[in-house]
This record gives sequence, structure tokens and C-alpha cells, in this order.
Amino acid sequence: MRKSFPAEDLARDDRFRRARTEDRINDPRNQFLPEGRRAGRLTPERPDAAHAARQMMHGIFVGEIQALEGAGRTVWDFDDDDAPFALKLDMARQCWDEARHTEISVKLGEWMGTEVGEFAETTFLYEAACNPDPVLRLTGVNRALEGLAIDVFNTMREFGQACGDPVLEFCEDWMLADEVTHVKMGSDWLRRLTESDPGRRERALEFQRVVDKLFSFRGFRGEGDDSPVQLARTFRRMAGFGDAEIDTIAADAETDSQQEGWKAPV
Amino acid sequence: MADASAPRSPFAPWDRRELPGLFTVEESARRVGHYAWIEMRLFEALGGWVATVPELDVKTMLGRHCYHHAWHAELWHKRLPELREMRPERMIRAPNADLEAFVAALTEPEAPELTIEKLVGVYRVLLPRKIGAYTYHLAATSRITDGPTIRSLGFILEDETTDWREGEMVLQSLVQSDEEVARAARRQGGLETLITRAGGIAGPGSLGGEPADSKVGAAS
Repeated sequence: MRKSFPAEDLARDDRFRRARTEDRINDPRNQFLPEGRRAGRLTPERPDAAHAARQMMHGIFVGEIQALEGAGRTVWDFDDDDAPFALKLDMARQCWDEARHTEISVKLGEWMGTEVGEFAETTFLYEAACNPDPVLRLTGVNRALEGLAIDVFNTMREFGQACGDPVLEFCEDWMLADEVTHVKMGSDWLRRLTESDPGRRERALEFQRVVDKLFSFRGFRGEGDDSPVQLARTFRRMAGFGDAEIDTIAADAETDSQQEGWKAPV
Repeated sequence: MADASAPRSPFAPWDRRELPGLFTVEESARRVGHYAWIEMRLFEALGGWVATVPELDVKTMLGRHCYHHAWHAELWHKRLPELREMRPERMIRAPNADLEAFVAALTEPEAPELTIEKLVGVYRVLLPRKIGAYTYHLAATSRITDGPTIRSLGFILEDETTDWREGEMVLQSLVQSDEEVARAARRQGGLETLITRAGGIAGPGSLGGEPADSKVGAAS
């Protein structure tokens, strides 16, 4: 088995459909959504709320698979000199957590009326887990990707509350607890592994910012009413993000969302 | 009510634990080091394979089992300093080159159509060997002096047997045709040859005999 596994080789059964990230972002259907189907905060009042929630749920599902695969590759790709044993233990623990989230997501998807393969899968989440430097990989996955997961799960949890769907709220709340733990792991390892190498820490944080900008998708995630996924400040603080860091993510997302001619999908 | 001041044996009548056991401190540490090594190689391989298998139930099973073996490795890591081994990394190694060759062969398959080969190696060859070696350790070591190892073995064996059963059931559901039966058998035969040459996960003596028996009484 190779060390380092490219996103295009991720193994899937026949139900899955792969889409290129750039095609998804440039999909003209997202740019010319008719009135009433405009992207915005995910609330039950949105005319397309059920469809948007199912689409987001499917996105969570494939995201969990990729997070599981990414954590697994970190366990395998690095030898003991590159990644301390304790870090690999944390990543193995994360494998278990993401495996549970995958299972939860399949059942929640069925509960919400979608099925495996109804929506296309892009692999940009896994791509964040392909960096050859374990510190940058961990920062990309455990702070940017898992940070996004905090925002997404909190958004879905609140949507479940607003809809009066106790199953959705219950499941999202449990997954949210795990994601806060994963971000804390990432923050801890970033600090420990770069204690004597501020340059490497700086590069890792810059990589995180690049990934975070990608995850904000020109308004997909932010604090404005047009953002389907809301930045979860309280849970991010619990996970070890500083206010300045959260402000930067919010500011980057706001700047990105103001680009014309594009509306966020979902 | 019984007289509280009446002398009682420190061992209940049903407590049949005895002294001594077959293992010295050094022998127990040697074996624990090999256990840590194989658990590490296994959890790394399971983690790496997650991305390579298309079957969703296998993907999540590997993710779950990956953590089980990582936790076993952690238990063995923690046990080594308690066995007077202050540089655990010195002991965490393969017992011989043959077991290294076995692990290299075990972890070789990558292609998505090789799920059967991946699972056969783990669930029909390695896990039965681990269960055997751990069960032998449980039976051979002193249940009094080596109590902490016994406790870890109990947790680990519970995991191993549960995971083995789950992996075997998944394999049975994947092996459907004559050709797949033959593939599984070929793979099992090849890996059995290699692990037999190695003498098991702790080398010769994994299930008793040399070198464990030769150590009996060595420390006294």
C-alpha cells in the first residue's frame, strides 16, 4: 500500500457520483437561482428548506467518509519520526469517531428522505488531508475541516430545533461534541509540534487560512443572513479558537461573499 | 452474621490463583514489546486501508477496529515501563525478520478490488494468531504477580474476539463464488506460511515452548 493516497483514487461503490470541485462551484444553476430558491440561512421558512437540508445532510455524509479516510491516511502515511505515536493514537481515535458519524449520517439521511448517491460528491475535504507535512495536514483537517464541521453541525442542530425534529437535533448535537474534541486535538498538536519552530507554525496557520477561505465558498459559511452555514462562535471558542482567529474567518468569509455573479449553493 | 474478628484466608475458596507463573519480568516485557509492535503495524494498516475499500460497511468497520488496535498498542506502551523497561522503544520491535516479512505481505494489497485479500490477512490469519498468543500469555503468566498485564489482556482479548467475529462475518458475506473462495484460501495459505515461519506474533514460543519455557526460573 502506497504512502500518500490521491483523492481521485478514493474507493467508492457504484452509487456514488464524483464531481470536480471547480464544476460544482461554477455550476450555472447556482448562479441563477430563481427568486425564492436563493441561498440563505437554513431555516424552515425557506421554500426549499427540505431539499436544502437533505442536500446538506448528504454533504455531511460524504464529508464524514472523507474525514474518516483522511484520519486513516495520517495513521498510515507517516512513520514514527514524522508523527509521534500519541498523534497517531489521536488520529486512530478520530477514525472511530468519523466511522460513527458516517453511520449516523446514513441513518439521518434516510430519516430526512435522501439516499446514498442522490447528490454528487466533491473531494476537496479529503484534499486538505493530503498535505505531506503532518503539521500542515493536521491543521488543515483538525482546525479548518473540523472547524467547518462545528459550524455545519451547529447549523443543522439549530435547524432541527426550529423544525421540531428531535432526531436531527439529537444526532447533530452528539456529532458536534466529537468535532469540538477533534478541533481541540488539532490545536493541541499544532502547539506541541511547532513549539520550537515558529516558521512552521506560521506556514500551518497560513495553510489553515487558505483552506478556511475555500470552505467559506464565497458565502457558504459566514455570519450574514445569506450564508446557509453560520459560523458557530461559541462552540469554536470551546474548541480552542481565539476570538481574533474567528474574526479573521468571519472577515474572510464576508469579503468572499461580496463577490458578484455568484450565489452559494445549498 | 459472621464474627468480624475471626481470621479469614486472604484468598477466597474459589480463588485458585497461584505462584509462580511461567514468565519472568524480562520475558513478560519481551512479549509485551512484540505485542505493541504488531498492534501498531495493524492499526496503521487498517487506517490506511479505509480509503482503499469501496464497501461502505467495511470502511466504517476498519475505522472502528483501527482505534481498537491503537488502544491496545497504547496499553502495551504503558505497561513496558512498569516491567522495568525504561526505554520502551528498545523493546517495541518485531521478534524477527520473518514477522516483518509477514507484515509487509499483509499490508501490500491496495487496489479497491482486493478487499477480500485485505480482510483475510487480518481476520483469518493475524487476529487468530493474536488471540492465540494473548490467550497463552493469560494462561501462563502469574495471575498474581503479572496482574496488570492480565487485566489488559482481558480487555484486549474481548476486543480481539469481537472484532475477529465481525471481520469473519463480513468476509463470509463478501466471499460468494468458487473463485472468491479460492482467492481467500490462496491468500490465507500464503500469509499462514509467513507467520508460521515467524513463530507467531511474539516469535517462537508465542504459544509456549521455546523461548518462554527456557526462561522459567531464570530470575530466581
